Amino acid sequence: MRSPAYIGRPRITIRQLFLFILLALLALSQLFPLVWLFNYSLQKSGDLFGKEIFKLPDVPQWQNYIRAWRDGRIMQYLTNSVIVVAFSILLIMIFSFMLAYACTRMKWKLRNIVYGFVLMGMVIPIHTTLLPNFIWFKNFSLIDTRAGVIIPYIAFNMAFSVLLFRGFLASIPYAMEESAYLDGASARIILMRIIAPMAKTGFVTVGITAFLNCWNEFIMANTFLSSEVKRTLPFSIIRFQGQYASDYAVQFACMVIVAIIPIIIYFLFSKWIIAGVTAGSVKG
Amino acid sequence: MNSILSSKRLITILILPGLLVMVFAILAPILLSLYYSMTDWSGFGPMEFIGLANYGEVLANDPTFWRSLYNALMLLLVTVFIQNVFAFMIAAILVNLSDRLSNFLRTVFFIPAILTVVVITKLWVNIMNPNYGLLNKLLEGLHLDFLVHNWLSDPRTALGSIIFITIWHGFGWALLFYYSGLTTVPKELKEAARVDGANLFQTHLSVVIPYMAPVIQAVIIIDITSCLKQMEIVMLATEGGPGNSTQFIAYHLYEQAFRFSKYGYGNAISVLFVIIALSITLMAQRLLASDNTR
Repeated sequence: MRSPAYIGRPRITIRQLFLFILLALLALSQLFPLVWLFNYSLQKSGDLFGKEIFKLPDVPQWQNYIRAWRDGRIMQYLTNSVIVVAFSILLIMIFSFMLAYACTRMKWKLRNIVYGFVLMGMVIPIHTTLLPNFIWFKNFSLIDTRAGVIIPYIAFNMAFSVLLFRGFLASIPYAMEESAYLDGASARIILMRIIAPMAKTGFVTVGITAFLNCWNEFIMANTFLSSEVKRTLPFSIIRFQGQYASDYAVQFACMVIVAIIPIIIYFLFSKWIIAGVTAGSVKG
Repeated sequence: MNSILSSKRLITILILPGLLVMVFAILAPILLSLYYSMTDWSGFGPMEFIGLANYGEVLANDPTFWRSLYNALMLLLVTVFIQNVFAFMIAAILVNLSDRLSNFLRTVFFIPAILTVVVITKLWVNIMNPNYGLLNKLLEGLHLDFLVHNWLSDPRTALGSIIFITIWHGFGWALLFYYSGLTTVPKELKEAARVDGANLFQTHLSVVIPYMAPVIQAVIIIDITSCLKQMEIVMLATEGGPGNSTQFIAYHLYEQAFRFSKYGYGNAISVLFVIIALSITLMAQRLLASDNTR
């Protein structure tokens, strides 16, 4: 804002107007499909077939949501998602914190090899484990169990989480641990009482990234969980489409319900997502 | 203190849980895949060991395999040259806006990126529906009736539509990566260029982009893996069709094993997939890294 053109009364230049229109169009293209979805979730299915591009509901059909919730068995799928995701996030945070601590602040010969192996996890596509794990997990009776998806969720979130934690751990001064070790504190106390609280932001960032990854994961859940009572939230949409194929409005309501939870979480934690990306892409 | 920080016992305790899970759920299955890939097996019943025959079949006699690699390449090109360039430009605009406005816009632009791929795909399948979809109505409204058709089942537009959904979904991530990279560019650098008489465009070309090279490199490597991994959108929108026009490698191997019961064959594709993903990423890293040091 230092250039002479901006001194005095603010004037809108053609370039600014162009930028404004560009940003507005982009915002529209990212949001309008979701608004469209929400809008028609409140109408009767037949309204969708009208000529107009967009039409507000005459009378909002909130009962679509009641039907979606009930017939889509949202409560059951939601509970399953919460159980699977909660265990996954908790274990991802603990395991990757421990691994990152050993790989960042401790000195040992195989450190770089182990760290390199962990990072490889980021390049391996989950899809390459779908076929072999289908047979391999049978040996351990893990097919169609929650553990059978929690374990691969942990495995595939390790690389990125360790990378994130390393960024946060590297910035903690060594003096902290040194004095504690000299005072004779045990490693467990030091990790839990000194290091972990200082890497608080790391925990939130890893937690939220892992949440988005696991909460939205579909293909492993689809392959490994076969019984209806164990499946996770994205299935309510698939199941609903199968059963109420022509009931578009209720399908839309079901999709809105599934979409709303990560949106709420995102608004609560968006600051940390950005912190995580910064740590991961710039420092890492 | 040094004795604790290099205590073998402590190190083992710390790394074991994470490593074991990774070995159990990633390394072991890939090695198993290598074994199954040399068999003729449906997943049940008798298994016959056939050496490398499956690999020969994939490489020599499987047009769908090559088609899916071609599709991944198309997706990558569009992602890097259209989505990334656009995301970079928008990010460069956002860093110059007031904090409040830029925060608001970033939040808006990122919303699709946090939604599950099932919602995103089904949303766009509905938008592209030929009977009631928003897209065709919009085109009619704009008097572009000649474009109105069934986007996902016309072989000429199916792949393009899938690519569009994918880059629409991933746009927020690309933007966020570039934005957080751009906030670290030192002001003095840009000002020095401006003093030298460079305009905004020249400043970006000569100063900002070279400074951002590591970020751009990281994003491109992420793009490569995510384009190869594309599967869910195709599975939920077109099932690889019409014909094989929207096949991607992950869906191809899935279909071979679970739909056509060619489990051994699917594993051979799976192993090739690992090799391709690893080697392309390593190559890209080398290539882009040597570019940086110039």
